[in-house]
Amino acid sequence: MYSSLILLPFLSVIALNLPFRNLMKKLAFVVCLLVLLVQISLIVCPSICIWSNDLDIFGSFLQFNFAVDNLSRVMLFCIGIVLLAALFVQRYIIDDEERIFNFVNVLLLILIGMDGIVMVRDIFSLYIFLEITAVGSFILIGFNKDVDAFEAAFKYIILSVVATVLMLSSIALLLIVSGSTSFSSISDALKTSPDSLLISSAVAIFLCACFIKAGLIPFHGWLADTYSAAPAAVSVLLAGIVTKTVGAYTLIRIVNSVFGFESSINSLLLVIGIISIVIGALAALGQRDFKRMLAYSSISQVGYIILGLGCGTTLGLAGAVFHLFNHSIFKTLLFVNSAAVELETGTTDMNGLSGLSKKMPFTAMTSVVASLSAAGIPPLSGFWSKLIIIMALWMSGFYVYAVIAILASVLTLAYFLSLQRMVFFGRLKEDSANIKEAGLGLMFPALILALIIVAVGLFFPFIINTFILPAGNILGG
Amino acid sequence: MRYDLVLLNTVLIPVAGAFILPLVARISLKTRDFAALGLVLASFVFSLLLIPQIMAGRAVIIFSQLPLGFNFVLTADALAVFMACVSSFISAIIILYSFGYISHYENQNEYYTMVVLFLGAMMGLVFAGNLILLYVFWEITAITSWRLIGFFREKKHVICADKAFLVTMFGAVLMLIGFISIFQQTGSFDLAVIKESVKTNPVSNLAIALILVGIFSKSATLPFHTWLPDAGVAPSPVTALLHAAILVKIGVYVFARLFLTTFSLAQFWHTAVPIIAAISAIVSAGAALRETDIKRIIAYSTVSQIGFIFLGLSIGNELAVAGGLLYILMHGLAKAGLFLCAGIIEQNTKTKDITKLGGLIKTMPVTAMAFLFCAFSVMGIPPFGGFFSKYMVFAGAVETGHLWIVFAFLVGAFLTILYLFRVFNLVFLGEARSLIQAKEKSPIMVTSVAILAVLSLVGGIFINYPCGFVQIILANMAGIIK
Repeated sequence: MYSSLILLPFLSVIALNLPFRNLMKKLAFVVCLLVLLVQISLIVCPSICIWSNDLDIFGSFLQFNFAVDNLSRVMLFCIGIVLLAALFVQRYIIDDEERIFNFVNVLLLILIGMDGIVMVRDIFSLYIFLEITAVGSFILIGFNKDVDAFEAAFKYIILSVVATVLMLSSIALLLIVSGSTSFSSISDALKTSPDSLLISSAVAIFLCACFIKAGLIPFHGWLADTYSAAPAAVSVLLAGIVTKTVGAYTLIRIVNSVFGFESSINSLLLVIGIISIVIGALAALGQRDFKRMLAYSSISQVGYIILGLGCGTTLGLAGAVFHLFNHSIFKTLLFVNSAAVELETGTTDMNGLSGLSKKMPFTAMTSVVASLSAAGIPPLSGFWSKLIIIMALWMSGFYVYAVIAILASVLTLAYFLSLQRMVFFGRLKEDSANIKEAGLGLMFPALILALIIVAVGLFFPFIINTFILPAGNILGG
Repeated sequence: MRYDLVLLNTVLIPVAGAFILPLVARISLKTRDFAALGLVLASFVFSLLLIPQIMAGRAVIIFSQLPLGFNFVLTADALAVFMACVSSFISAIIILYSFGYISHYENQNEYYTMVVLFLGAMMGLVFAGNLILLYVFWEITAITSWRLIGFFREKKHVICADKAFLVTMFGAVLMLIGFISIFQQTGSFDLAVIKESVKTNPVSNLAIALILVGIFSKSATLPFHTWLPDAGVAPSPVTALLHAAILVKIGVYVFARLFLTTFSLAQFWHTAVPIIAAISAIVSAGAALRETDIKRIIAYSTVSQIGFIFLGLSIGNELAVAGGLLYILMHGLAKAGLFLCAGIIEQNTKTKDITKLGGLIKTMPVTAMAFLFCAFSVMGIPPFGGFFSKYMVFAGAVETGHLWIVFAFLVGAFLTILYLFRVFNLVFLGEARSLIQAKEKSPIMVTSVAILAVLSLVGGIFINYPCGFVQIILANMAGIIK
C-alpha cells in the first residue's frame, strides 16, 4: 500500500494540470492538503487503509523496490507534518491563486521525491528521487524571483550538482564491485570483497556527497544563504525536512544498510558530527538575523544526528532517528515563528526587534517551546533524543565526544536565549505599537507543532517503545 | 488512605494547576490569585498528610517501569517530606506576599504560573526516586527561574536571567554526564537499584566530581555563585523564592539525597567539600560587607550561608548533618523574611541603595522588627532557630577534628554578624536620609514578613519538634554516615 504514497501525489499533479485549469487552481490547496493528510493518517493508523491491496497492483508497475520499516515510517510522518506546515504558511503569506497553484505543484513533486527517498531499497533509485527533490527545491528557493533568492538557488544548484556528480561516480564504482544496485547485494559484495582502494574511495565519495546535501561543516557554505534568502514557506520546507531527508536520512540509511559500521566510517562520522555541532553553534551565536541563526542552528543539530549515527550502536541509531524527528518538528516550528515575525514586522534583523511577546504572545510562547526543545531542556522532546545520543556515546566509550556534545548544548541554549532576548523577551519598542499577532493560518501549524513537541516530551516512554527503539533495532538487524 | 495518591497529588496539583491559572484569570484576577495560593497550600497539606506514614517508619513509593532505566519513581521518605513541607510552606507565604507586591505590574498571569510551576517542579524534584526524573524537574526549575528573573523585561534583567540559566545549565549537563556514568556502572537510573549496587562497587570519583559541579552551580557556591547576586533584579518575592527558600536549596537537597542517603563519599570528599564551602562562605561574606545594594547583600549572604549547610552535610558527622538539615529550614524562613523585608523597603522608598536610606524604624516599625528577627536567626543568636542549627554544625565539625575548617567558618559567622548589623544600622537606624516619607503600605506584605520573623523565633524555642523529625531522617541514613 505504501506505493500509493508515490502514486497519489503523482496522479494529483497530473490531475491538477489537466484542462479546467481555472477550477483546478481553486482546488489546488485542498488537493495538496488531502494528499498530505492521507499520508499522515496512513502512518498513524495503517489499518484505515482498506483500498491498500487494489493500489498495490498499480504499484507493481513501478520499477522500484519499495520497503517500509520503522525508520521510513518516522520519516514519512515528518514529511507529512512539515509539508503541511509549509503549505499553510505559503497559503497565509501569499494570497494569489496562481502562485499557490504553482507552489502546490512543486510541493507535490518534492513530496514524491522525498517519499521515494525514504522507501527505496536501491541505490540508483535513491539517486533519482534525490534529484527530483533537489530540482523541486531549486525552483522553490527562487520562487519569489528576486536577486537574493536567485543567488541562493544558484548556490544550491552548484553545490547540489557537485554532490550529484560525487554520488553518481560512487554508484558507478560500487556497481563495478557488486554488479547490482540494490542495497542488499552491494552490502553483500562489500562484505565479501577484500578491502581495496576502490571500495574505500567509493564509500568516502558517497559520504561526502551526503555531507554536502546535509550541509555539514565543512560543506555548509550554501546552507545559511539559502535558508535566509528563500521565501518563508520554503525555508520551513528546506530546514524542516528537505535537507534532513536528502542528507541525514540518506546517510543513516546508506551507512546502515549498505556500508555497515566500520571503525573508519564511524570515526569520520563522529569527527564531522562534533565539528558541525561546535562550529554551527558558535556561528549561530554570532548571528543577528533570525533566519540565519536558525540556519546555523540546523547545522549544529544535524551534527547531533550524525554523532548518534557514528556511535554505531542500536541506542545511538535510535537516538539519531529520534533527534531527526524532533529536529524536523522544532526547526519547522521556529521557521514558522520567523515567518510570523517577518510578516508582522517586515524584518528578520533581530537588532531591530524587541519585546514582541507583548504583541505576539502566541508566537513568543511557541518559540520558547521550540527553542528549549532544541537546546535539550527537559521535559521537551529534544532533551530525550539528545540524552539518548549522549548515553549511546558514553556507553560506547566515546567519553570526549559525549562531553563536547553535551557542553555544546549549553552553547545551543546560549544562542536561543539571545534570540529570545532580542526578539521576544524584553521591552517593546515604542515604534512597534501597531504590530499584531499573526493570523490563524500561522497559529494553527505552530500550535500543532508545539503540541507535538510537548506531547513527545511528556509521553516519551510510549514514543520510544513504539517507534524509536524499533527503528534502531530493525536497522541494526 | 491511599498514600500513593496523596504523594502523586503533592506533585501533580501544582504542576498541572500552574497551567490552568491563566484560564482562571479570565474569571477574575482575584480568583486567580487565590487559586495560586490554593494550589500551593494543597501541595503543603498533602505533604503534611505524608508525615504520619514517615513517623511510622514507612516510605511511600510510586513506581512504574519505563524503558532504558528511565523508571518513573516517586519516593516519599523522611528527607523528601521534610524538604517538601519546608518549600511548600515558604512558597505559600511568598505567594501571599505577592498579592500585595505584584498587583501593580504587567504579566501577572505569567508570574503566578511560573511561581506555582516552580514549586511543583521542586516537589517533583524532592520526591524523585530516579536520576533522570530528578534532572527533568531540576531543569524545569531553571526554565521558570529564567522567566521570573527577567520578569521586568529590561534588557539588563533579561541578560541576568540568561546568565542564571546558562550557569546552572552548564552545571546541570556536567551533572548529567555524572548520572550517565553512574548508569554505565550500575545499569540503572533508579536510586534504589543504585543504592544496592554501590554497596559492593563504589561510585567513581569522576562521577562524584561532575555531580558536585552541578550541585554547586545550582546552590550558587564558589566559583559558580555569580549568577545569584545578579538575579537580584527579579521581583522581591521571586528572589526570596529563588535565593532563600527553594532554588538554592535544590543543590543542597540533591547533595543529601545522593551522598547521604544513596551512596557514601570517599574520605577525600569529607575534607574537600568543606574547604570549598569555607572559601565560598568567607569570600561571599566579604562581598556582602562591600555591597551597597540591599538585595545583593542578602544574596551574597545566601551564598555564604549555603556554605554552612554544605559544611554540615559533608563533614561526615551525624550531629553536623542534623544541624545542616535544620539550617535548611531555619535559613529558608529567615532569609525569605529578609528578602521580603527588602522588597517592602524597595517598593516604598523606590531605592535599593542602603547608603541612601536611614531611620526607617520610625516609619516602618513592623518591617524593622521582622528584619531584625530574621537577621538574628541568620546570625545565629540564641534563642532563634539559626542558633541551634549553626551550633550543631559547629559542634559536629569540631568532633571530626578539622579545626582549621571550623575556624574558617567561625570567621564567616563573625562576618555574617557584621554585614547584617551594617545593613540594619544603615537602613533602619540613624537619620532619615530619604526625602520620601516611606510607609508600610500593604498590610498583606507586612503580615507575611511578620509570620516569617515570628516563625524564626518560634522555631528556635520549640526546636525539639523539627529536631525530632531530623532524627528520623538520620535513621534512614544509617550506615552511610560514619
